[in-house]
Amino acid sequence: MVGRIAAKEILSTLRDTRAIVSNLLIPLLLLPVIMLGLPFLLGGLFQREATTVTPLGVTGLEHAPHELVALIEGQNAVLESVDDPEAAVRDDTYPAAIAIPEGLAAALAAGESAAVTVYRKVGNLRSELNAGKLESAVAGYRQQVVAERLAAAGIDPSVLEPLRVVTRDASTEAERSSGQLAWLIPFFIAIWTLTGGQMAAIDATAGEKERGTLEVLLVAPVRRVEVVVGKFLATTLFGLWAAVMAIVGFVVGGLLLRGAFLPGLDAGAAEMVSVMGGQLSVTPTMVVLLVVSAVLLASLISALLISVTLFARSFKEAQSYVAPLSFLLILPAISLQFRDLIGGGDALYWVPMLNAMVLMDDVVKGAATTQGIAITWLSLSVAVMALLAFAHRSFLREDVLFRT
Amino acid sequence: MIHVAALTKRFDDVAAVDEVSFDVAAGEVFGLLGPNGAGKTTTLRILATLLRADAGEAIVAGFDVAREPESVRRTIGVVNGGMGLYDRLTGREILHYFGRMYDLSRQAIERRIAELDDLLTLGDALSKRAGTFSTGMKQKVVIARAVLHDPRVIFFDEVTSGLDVMARRAVLDVVKAYPSAERAVVYSTHVMSEVEELCDRAAVLYRGRLVADGTVAELIADGGEDSLERSFFALVERSGLASANGAAVAA
Repeated sequence: MVGRIAAKEILSTLRDTRAIVSNLLIPLLLLPVIMLGLPFLLGGLFQREATTVTPLGVTGLEHAPHELVALIEGQNAVLESVDDPEAAVRDDTYPAAIAIPEGLAAALAAGESAAVTVYRKVGNLRSELNAGKLESAVAGYRQQVVAERLAAAGIDPSVLEPLRVVTRDASTEAERSSGQLAWLIPFFIAIWTLTGGQMAAIDATAGEKERGTLEVLLVAPVRRVEVVVGKFLATTLFGLWAAVMAIVGFVVGGLLLRGAFLPGLDAGAAEMVSVMGGQLSVTPTMVVLLVVSAVLLASLISALLISVTLFARSFKEAQSYVAPLSFLLILPAISLQFRDLIGGGDALYWVPMLNAMVLMDDVVKGAATTQGIAITWLSLSVAVMALLAFAHRSFLREDVLFRT
Repeated sequence: MIHVAALTKRFDDVAAVDEVSFDVAAGEVFGLLGPNGAGKTTTLRILATLLRADAGEAIVAGFDVAREPESVRRTIGVVNGGMGLYDRLTGREILHYFGRMYDLSRQAIERRIAELDDLLTLGDALSKRAGTFSTGMKQKVVIARAVLHDPRVIFFDEVTSGLDVMARRAVLDVVKAYPSAERAVVYSTHVMSEVEELCDRAAVLYRGRLVADGTVAELIADGGEDSLERSFFALVERSGLASANGAAVAA
């Protein structure tokens, strides 16, 4: 009987074309778009800005040492004289500008110190990038002047650097390759599980009430527990479908990025793509761990959806109940970004919902432990059973079923 | 076929059904007559095992509704005015879905569908999705669903509301034809003419209480008037349950 109820819910939901497109097919397309699009967009923008010869404002160009001008031009920039460099940047005539003081060359030749001013818009990425070109050129020129002065004084340049810092990245290959967008993966899986499951859950509970079919179903010789489990299975299936679509999108996006697009980028842009998550590698074990975790997360969300939406009298009311549930997913997802600071150790694996995201984050970074997996899966299973028991009790309550 | 004794159901402080008693014999169409809020739907929901009574007893086809709800459900059919159908399923799919719940085989369901098609002229409703049905078509499929498993007792609750004259006539014909030596019908309505046409006996309900019961002729005689409608008001008035502002008249 459970199978028949689930099959009816699945057939009915599958025939809701608009819901299928918006809830099940879009996840398949969206994740690759984000996986491919965002890193490539940023990588492409950085690459374009770095390679394009950009006009930058300057005052006092006539005072600029020709070595400095050459270094600036070597950064793919061309200097154009302006009267007021600050105004030129403020009104976006130029993304950045530099002011060369009168007597700069003479001061430097005399072994004195002098300052140039670089104008930029803080927070404006293009302005920052171009100001960086100017600063890089000035830094290069400063090194030249220092080297010349030390040579003239007969001093080894290494005297200026008695102690150096050497950094080594101690993260694993998986952690490095997961990139800064890795936290988005469990977030998308959870969100799409909720999105995919909610249409089936609402249709199977509040929708049945609104159509008047719930009463008819309950006078048929079927036990309430069979009704609950049948509806739960259908809801979980659609939640999972959306989640699996998200995972497929993730895998396809990662493979496309690694195989087809990354080799075509220059070193700088490729590094940017890499940092943003462009070198995510997915092993079969990772896929299995992600899928099992997604199944349990989908079950939890489905049980929650059934429990909540049954209290609604109509489709519309049910949607208003479901909306706040997304916060239950967004908050843990956001907290994932600060996980290193929050700490919590293994305790996080006991918290349903949060634990699924933490575990999926671990999986993507290749940091999942047997203990973390076991605690998470156990905790999720217990939470699912508890919510199903609650849903079953609700299906026995007259005030819930016949609320007017 | 049905025995109801001192049946009581309260919602908070309101007695929706207050010590209602009646019996329905096999072969009868028994009417529950009363205005909105009289307790007709609550009574039927208790008999259909959807609600639990706070007190009293109800036996349907030999099964106690409180102790043997699943056995009761196997012997009853319910048609309500809501005409609830699954919009994205065809008439045939809906009938198969419910038929399987009563453990009917696919072949048995198909045979029954053919019989019901002859009786109700289901026609296109079998192949079209319910979301596209006219009101009359919906009501036919709702009735087909309710009688698919050949229930011994069938409850009709305000089934003609909103139906056009043709669809209404088709429904009334089904109700009239259904009772047999093994089957009975309980027909809930506020329409006096339907009780006069269909019911062998009826109970007048008002504000949860049973005001009178008997054959239509007996009810008219009890009220001391010349029509069921006038007698209904007289019976309600005599019960002392009607408010001073004439709530019964509003019915």
